[in-house]
Amino acid sequence: MQISSIEEKVLLTDILKLKKQILKMIWIAQSGHPGGSLSCVNLIYLLYKKVMKFDAKNPLMEDRDIFILSKGHAAPALYAVLSKIGLIEKKELYTLRSFGSRLQGHPKKNKDLGIEISTGSLGIGFSVSIGCALAAKLNNNNKKIFTLLGDGELNEGVVWEAAMAASHYKLDNLIAIVDRNGIQSDGSTEEVMSLEPLADKWKAFGWEVIEIDGSNINEIINGFKNACKIFRKPTVVISYLIKGSDVSFMEHTRRYHGKPPNKEEYESAVLEINKQIEIIQGD
Amino acid sequence: MINLPARDVLGNFLTYNGDKYQNMVVLNADLSLSTKSDIFAQKYPHRFFNFGIAEQNMIGASMGFAISNKMPIVCGFSLFTTGRAWEFIRLACHDNLNIKFITTHGGLVGGDGSTHSALEDLSLMACLPNLNVIVPGDNIEIVKVLEYAFRIPGPFYIRLPRGNLNVIHKKDFEFDPNAIDVIKNGNESNDICIIGIGSGSYIASQFALKLEQELHISIRILNQSTIKPINTKNLISLIKNDKNVIVIEEHNTYCGFGSIISRIISEYCPKKIKIIGIENSFGQSGSRNELLEYYGFSYKNLKKKILELLNEK
Repeated sequence: MQISSIEEKVLLTDILKLKKQILKMIWIAQSGHPGGSLSCVNLIYLLYKKVMKFDAKNPLMEDRDIFILSKGHAAPALYAVLSKIGLIEKKELYTLRSFGSRLQGHPKKNKDLGIEISTGSLGIGFSVSIGCALAAKLNNNNKKIFTLLGDGELNEGVVWEAAMAASHYKLDNLIAIVDRNGIQSDGSTEEVMSLEPLADKWKAFGWEVIEIDGSNINEIINGFKNACKIFRKPTVVISYLIKGSDVSFMEHTRRYHGKPPNKEEYESAVLEINKQIEIIQGD
Repeated sequence: MINLPARDVLGNFLTYNGDKYQNMVVLNADLSLSTKSDIFAQKYPHRFFNFGIAEQNMIGASMGFAISNKMPIVCGFSLFTTGRAWEFIRLACHDNLNIKFITTHGGLVGGDGSTHSALEDLSLMACLPNLNVIVPGDNIEIVKVLEYAFRIPGPFYIRLPRGNLNVIHKKDFEFDPNAIDVIKNGNESNDICIIGIGSGSYIASQFALKLEQELHISIRILNQSTIKPINTKNLISLIKNDKNVIVIEEHNTYCGFGSIISRIISEYCPKKIKIIGIENSFGQSGSRNELLEYYGFSYKNLKKKILELLNEK
């Protein structure tokens, strides 16, 4: 299924605006993780906007689909999306990481905000999603559980404990999404702790593997929707993305994994993104 | 029930309460036979989940169950559950989830030796906010503590031994985490107040009368099974007039139950205190009696500690 070119333009523009929001939040906080937030915000946004059963007016709805941001350091991306769908007021976004804020440096459980579980210590969120999927099966509920992992996060042993359990229990209601941007805190994933052949690893663990170009909106939406149709086994959507995407000097580098932009960098990034918005709207 | 090993009491309790707590799920890491949660698995196979030898994922998954309104009971060995998966338990406490971590093989385990002894678990658990930490003293108390933990939402760590606990309570005992459980009442003011947890309370009561007669002293014995949250006010008001305190714990003495009691006593009613526990060791293989004797849970050592307290200036 293809979305219309008009809708595609709207979604692309939304995503670029979300990226500006992320940069502003991190710039004001003067701490946070821009690289891995910029890479995956499109995935989170499209999940909420086009794929998940989720009502922002009733985030506690019993049969809602569940989203867990296992790569909790991408909290600014999650907060920006939750704001976009109406769960967080825009002005609250700029309290990120400040004393007393609900928007902690890494997501803190708050069901009113649509945050199901605290994450940030890598690997745990994915393991939590196994329990959610088992509980949904036990309740004969057809809800889906989506979990977003970083590729560096796959170094954690518990990820593979959980991967084994998911296929053992045939959790076809569980969809893992890997932000395969290829860069972790200390450098390239293949230099730090090689992951390839990544798709084969998941296959060997009994998972259905869908590989997508994470810059292509149609591929993302179709990848997620196809993952929901897989029967009797869990699915991983490996999304090839760019660390720090859409800000030229943040792309393909570890430098902005956990470092905020300074004023000049922030302003330059916003200019770049604005130009891209103009190009999309001028098409 | 009275004479069963503690882990059998656990397995039976879970099974008897399967219908009452429809939201209960029991999680295990390939130790269902050893923790006796296999009894539950036989009756309620669809609510029993084995995660293989993977404690971290078991506890991660328990959080998923908890946020899906289930009440997960995590069963495992005390050491592997609390040690291997400590940070997972930390997150469960961080989010104040309704998970009951109920472990067996707490303390000295016998033949399995040092690699399987849990002598550090109470240190690891007592420092976690939101977590209730309880070490029952006998089978009667185990049942009452489990009933309490199932009734009260939130995370619990309940530590049981591998084998049997001797009886210290009457059959009509009721568990109240705020009440101070007096096993042997002494006078208004006593020479020694012994505070035990788990097997420590029985060890104290086993020797107390003989020590009173031999040394011409008075002894009070408390079974302080609730380590956290501890009702400091009630504890202090009871022991404030006692002259000396001895703690008996089947745990490392460096930062265990005795350390917690020492902190409370030094803060609110300073007096001399001695701790009987495992000092700077990981334990070893041996029979239960050999291990208890070696690590000082003996009449001889208790007498020695009392004399030290009475004779120290």
